[in-house]
Amino acid sequence: MLDTSTQPTGPVTQVAGPNGPSRRRRRRDAKLTEQVPRHLRAHLTAYLMITPMVVLLGIFVIWPLVYAFYLSFFEMSFYKDAEFVGFDFYKYVLTDPEFYESLLVGLKLALMVVPTILVLALLLASFLATLSKRMAAFMKTTVYVPAVVSSVVAAIIFVFIYQDEGFANWFIGLFGQGPLAWLNTASTALPAVAIPAIWLGFGVSTLIMLAGILDIPESYFESARLDGANFWQRTRYITIPSLRNVILFLLVSGLTLTIQEFQLPLVMTNGGPVNATNTPNLYIFNSFRDATPYATSYSLTAALLLFLVIGTISLIIFRVVSSEKSSDA
Amino acid sequence: MRQRRLRIVAAAAVAALIALAGCSSNSGTPGSSGGKEGPAEITFWQSQFEPYQQKWFKTYVDKFNASQTDVKVKYQVVPGDTWQQKLKAAQAAGTQPDVATTNYGGIPAGVANGQFAELDGLLPDKAWSDIKSNVGGFVQVGGKHYAYPMLVEPSTVLYYRTDLVKAAGLDPNTPPKTWDELLTWAEKLTKGTVKGMTIASVAPDLGWSSWGLQYNACGHLPINDDWSAANAKDPCYTKLFEFYQTLFQKGWIPQQPKVGYPDATPYGQGQVAMMANGSWAVGQLKQSFPAMIKNTAVAPFPSVDGDPSKPTATLGGWTLTVDAKSKHKEAAAKFIEYLLAGDPAIMADFFRQSGFSKYTVRTSVDQALASDPAATADPFMKIISDKVVATGKAEPAYPFDISLAFATAIESVMKGKSDIPAATQKASDAIDRVIKQQRLKGTAPKG
Repeated sequence: MLDTSTQPTGPVTQVAGPNGPSRRRRRRDAKLTEQVPRHLRAHLTAYLMITPMVVLLGIFVIWPLVYAFYLSFFEMSFYKDAEFVGFDFYKYVLTDPEFYESLLVGLKLALMVVPTILVLALLLASFLATLSKRMAAFMKTTVYVPAVVSSVVAAIIFVFIYQDEGFANWFIGLFGQGPLAWLNTASTALPAVAIPAIWLGFGVSTLIMLAGILDIPESYFESARLDGANFWQRTRYITIPSLRNVILFLLVSGLTLTIQEFQLPLVMTNGGPVNATNTPNLYIFNSFRDATPYATSYSLTAALLLFLVIGTISLIIFRVVSSEKSSDA
Repeated sequence: MRQRRLRIVAAAAVAALIALAGCSSNSGTPGSSGGKEGPAEITFWQSQFEPYQQKWFKTYVDKFNASQTDVKVKYQVVPGDTWQQKLKAAQAAGTQPDVATTNYGGIPAGVANGQFAELDGLLPDKAWSDIKSNVGGFVQVGGKHYAYPMLVEPSTVLYYRTDLVKAAGLDPNTPPKTWDELLTWAEKLTKGTVKGMTIASVAPDLGWSSWGLQYNACGHLPINDDWSAANAKDPCYTKLFEFYQTLFQKGWIPQQPKVGYPDATPYGQGQVAMMANGSWAVGQLKQSFPAMIKNTAVAPFPSVDGDPSKPTATLGGWTLTVDAKSKHKEAAAKFIEYLLAGDPAIMADFFRQSGFSKYTVRTSVDQALASDPAATADPFMKIISDKVVATGKAEPAYPFDISLAFATAIESVMKGKSDIPAATQKASDAIDRVIKQQRLKGTAPKG
């Protein structure tokens, strides 16, 4: 953060053409300058730079969001006048057991996927950091490959893996088990969806984690080695604390994205069996199925409530795991 | 410095404008014409069906466009699984199609929403009088027509492999008549990797494919006739739940189906010996698995107690509707009249293309097919028409949420997630909630 009090002059007062402004104009500018708070003067250029994005966000995010909240108080029809219903749709969504079931499914999926990704990514990134440059480049590419695979394609690949005569049943058959109906049994369907989610997500997380590890000063590790710290102690007392912000980012983004997982359950199970993989977004998508005004307004309200739930979860995580500046900053 | 700031402001403004311009829509309004002098241009959305249907629609849209200069039809195929999302987005933007395929069950809700134009004044009387009496009611609400029917297709027919049946020591000429007999057949026909039969086992498929069997078990659907309260806990449904539960838990149907209920591929590929499927499966078997036809027989789906007069299927099917906001309703009706209500040879060609897997809704088309040897010689058509269509019921007009609640109960019992009383209680509560929230009480279509 720049200290504006140390700036020689505000940028507004520095304006001068090649021939210099007239005295009258200079006086008017000086008057205007005095009216604009000093901190705004100092950051005017920055504000101008972000204006296009703020305008676009306002038009395409903020306004639709505000308008969506407004519309949620109506039963909307594209053929008749909308009917004001107050908080009815909030009541409908909040009294629907399936809404809570879907939130629970989203949370369970996130709890299966995010910690697994974090642990795998940390271990893999720690390993990559020890490799030679050439080997690390090869490994990084290999690890990243799943991230460029479409989740629909991944879902279809895993559907084949889980089929009666697929790889998963062949594998457990080696141990005298199965075959299992992986995607059609309530207890196995969600873990079966979690595995491709982990496979798709851990590549990016590993690279982000690796970037964080490479940013930790080598002197920390050298000192620890001199003090006789082993790998686990270095990881526990240096790597993880230094990666606090990276882990926080991966935790929050991972949780919010996984709770909203949509394509994998849609393609692999369509939310079944018996809603065992019916994630919140899939629930909202399916509640959009009927061609009635009710279905439209219900889906909209459920989506807004999901937005509030995910926002709350993110806030709680930020409160619990507060971000800090890097210790060597 | 000032000039620099001005440049920044200008750049910011230009960037915002470019972004906005990039996002602007260049699509026209619904039913926009090509110009004041040109033909009325109408859009037609067809839900994606079997490939031969797309071919048939395209052929006759092209012929219609070539046959006159007043109306030009823009034809678009929309996948069924994204239909509602795409349609609602178009309705919100005012770019919805003038003409669209609509299933029978969707007509009452669409009319209540003001979505469909009334067609009585737009199509000639002879078009309406040509519709068979058992179908006429499917496209009417309050005595007015809001759609023109295209076909009917029963949702549930029993297909079985005569060669495998013989090999199992069963008589292919006396197919099962009760659910208990069917379970016996399924058990005897399950051998190795070949399952006894295939039937819907996930809620979205069970939701609609079990309507006929719900009628069969109880004579009613899981809601009162006037849609005032749920009727899902009627003990007569116990047999229905047990039937599905036994098939799944005994392993006589695939435990992990690869395709949905309407797809006959597992039967065509020899993975199952019997199949519950709609009449449309005949078309798929003829076109994709012709070698299987000689070893295939069809029969009405068995009844809970063997009474063949009880319904086992609902008569689903498709219609064409005109959007209430269309600016070219007359032009849209002219197209519908040409395609569905005009020359019987056009629809006769459709049924020929379908392999006689769907059933006519017009007397004149029946007459056109009566002289077609391919139609009269078809081994399946007469059985399905006389024994399944004849007892078929209309699809329910209530929101699919109700069907899904009951289907979820069936699936819960099948997969051992809950017992029958708990599952029906949950379904009953869910149905009552739908009735209350969607204000359905007293809104059931009359007749």
